[in-house]
Amino acid sequence: MASRIAERFEHYRSRNEDAALVLLAVTALSLVAAFVLFYQQSRWTVVPVASFLLLTVVGWVRYQATIARGLTFVMTVATVAVLGLIVAFLVVRAWPAFDQMGLEALYRTEEPLWKPAKTTPWSLAPMIVGTMVTTAIATAVAAPVGIAGALYISEIASDTTREVVKPGIELMAGIPSITYGFIGFVIVNRFFYEEFQTSTIGNYFTVGAMIGIMALPTIVSVAEDALSTVPEAMKSGALAVGTTNWQTMKSVTLPSAFSGVSAAVLLGVGRAMGETMAATVMIPHTKGFADPVYDVFGGVGETLTTVIAFEGGNATGRHIEGLFAAGVVLFLMVLVLSVTAQVIQARMRSKYGGDR
Amino acid sequence: MAPDPDRLSDLVSRRKFVAATGAAGIAAVAGCSSNSGDDSGGDDTAQPTEAATSSAQETTESTEQSSQLSTDTLTGDGSSTVFPIANTGASYWNSNPEPGDEDYFPQDWADEYDTDMRLADYFATQYGWEETGERSVPPFRISIALSHSGTGVEGVMEERIDIGDASSTAEAELAGSDVSDEELDNFVDHVVGVDGQPIVVSKEIKDAGVTDITIEELRKIYKQEITNWSELGGPDEEILALGRAPGSGTNTAFLVNVMGDAEASISPDQRYGKNQQLQQAVATADNAIAYIALAFVQPDGQVPPIGLEIDGTLYEYGKNLGSKEYPLARDLHCYTWEDTSRQEAAFINFLLSDFGQEFFVEANNYFALPPERLETQREMVAASNYE
Repeated sequence: MASRIAERFEHYRSRNEDAALVLLAVTALSLVAAFVLFYQQSRWTVVPVASFLLLTVVGWVRYQATIARGLTFVMTVATVAVLGLIVAFLVVRAWPAFDQMGLEALYRTEEPLWKPAKTTPWSLAPMIVGTMVTTAIATAVAAPVGIAGALYISEIASDTTREVVKPGIELMAGIPSITYGFIGFVIVNRFFYEEFQTSTIGNYFTVGAMIGIMALPTIVSVAEDALSTVPEAMKSGALAVGTTNWQTMKSVTLPSAFSGVSAAVLLGVGRAMGETMAATVMIPHTKGFADPVYDVFGGVGETLTTVIAFEGGNATGRHIEGLFAAGVVLFLMVLVLSVTAQVIQARMRSKYGGDR
Repeated sequence: MAPDPDRLSDLVSRRKFVAATGAAGIAAVAGCSSNSGDDSGGDDTAQPTEAATSSAQETTESTEQSSQLSTDTLTGDGSSTVFPIANTGASYWNSNPEPGDEDYFPQDWADEYDTDMRLADYFATQYGWEETGERSVPPFRISIALSHSGTGVEGVMEERIDIGDASSTAEAELAGSDVSDEELDNFVDHVVGVDGQPIVVSKEIKDAGVTDITIEELRKIYKQEITNWSELGGPDEEILALGRAPGSGTNTAFLVNVMGDAEASISPDQRYGKNQQLQQAVATADNAIAYIALAFVQPDGQVPPIGLEIDGTLYEYGKNLGSKEYPLARDLHCYTWEDTSRQEAAFINFLLSDFGQEFFVEANNYFALPPERLETQREMVAASNYE
């Protein structure tokens, strides 16, 4: 292994000027130094940052090919390193909390539930349930609407309609989440409180419905992509044996694109699960379990994201470690969803990928 | 519509462009680094012109030579409740108005203090600084940031900032964390004002005849032992009890003063992060009860206050909410760490002065300290301690 790396390095060296390689190494080192100084909150961070920029410019002028190649590599490493650092930071900060409660923090249902303190037990279970309930409601709202929309855009709409509607839906993804939250807080919450006499202003249902609407653009555009990758030959074949348009959609297009469409739903749901701002504004912020658990109009309401956003600013000691633990749990839940979605998407591509 | 490569390259060579922008970037970075020594950010009231800035630096240098007093920017951070007091104080200080400026330093006040110096000059000279005599050029600058009580208390402890604003005590803010009693002793507590939060209800409830409740009833409402307004002589409606975020100064103060323990557990039906949201919720609902900052009460509108009865005494909005016995009254603190520096003392004394109490505390709808407490607080930061 070591010899192979050495050999590859020799190859690389033989193809580049030594001066260029030294320059590249110093550039990379100044980036590392900048990170170390930044981590120590040093005011001298600016020195290695300046040297990095200067060396990049010098290198770009003198050895463009080598530096460009090196820089793209460094940027990729930096991106991956950011992910790694975030995970490490989350886990390190949450560790004392898990050390105290162990996995019981995930399923404990007896009082006291919150807030985390060194001497009393606490639990993330109400928030985990809250996240699951709101996500389920969001899915129930977004999946049928999103899939229907995707089917219409991909299979039924005329070209003109498609050209207008699709960018329009994608524009929805650009609306800031606090705007959705404000509409939810002022209109949706109040409507349910006044017309349906819900016990609090805002509940799991209103939050779930709102974040479901926010997940729509993701679902529509990814599902539409999946539907349009179904080979034209399959649809023409079906039409040739005499099926109607609807029968083709129902029996050929949708089933073939099924994995892609489910990936779209999972991606959308992942976004809904991580949605913070809108939910924080709308939810009642009380911890507990609804009785029965599907009572989504009842008074309790708190999710993993909202508890972090709501209490993060004031928390100290074990309280903030508990919030970091909530972050770890949320990270894992979103990770599982998005990995599943990507695996499904990859399967879809290998199955029908040839038609692009 | 393909781009025309010839025309583009005529205009500017790509390499030249890259070189030029890179150089500009480095120049910008270099500019930053030379500036990083003096922290003048976070001040939105006084906007000195270029000339004023340069003369400020000259004055600063001469003052340093003559008396060796620090002219670094004094920094503060913390509670959003104390922020209006500290921030208004800081902006008056930084703008250093001349006597006779009717908005900032009326002539009556200058006469009362018997001075013809500018506002910050007058207060700073008592502590040994020399007057600058210029608008927007105080003897030293003050910058107050806005976050939460806990952040302010921690910031002071870690010596990131000079003054930590908190709307409950440092002890209560740090309850449950690793801070030892010896470390707690390093906090120096300066009380600059008093807050008294009234209990408010939805208009429909007050109209239906609930004009005051007892503190026992209040406790039971927040423990979900009383859940219907009919139990309190109101209409047959469920009670919607609204609270603030766990860990916030307001919530901690409520726990300590009403429930008797900072770690007590209460179960309001709904919590809000901001007074504004709370106000909107009380106005929207027809069955809500909440405690809210004074500035957000609407006595004749949708957010009317009600009285709170404790041991036979009735505490009412506009009458006696500032008294020490009222459980939702709380001291507003400016903490310093390990003694109070001359700079900190000069500013806190400014807040504690009669001028400060009227313009920064009462003008922001808080209660000024009663005379006796004011005297004690002033002695802690008196100029005579720094001679």
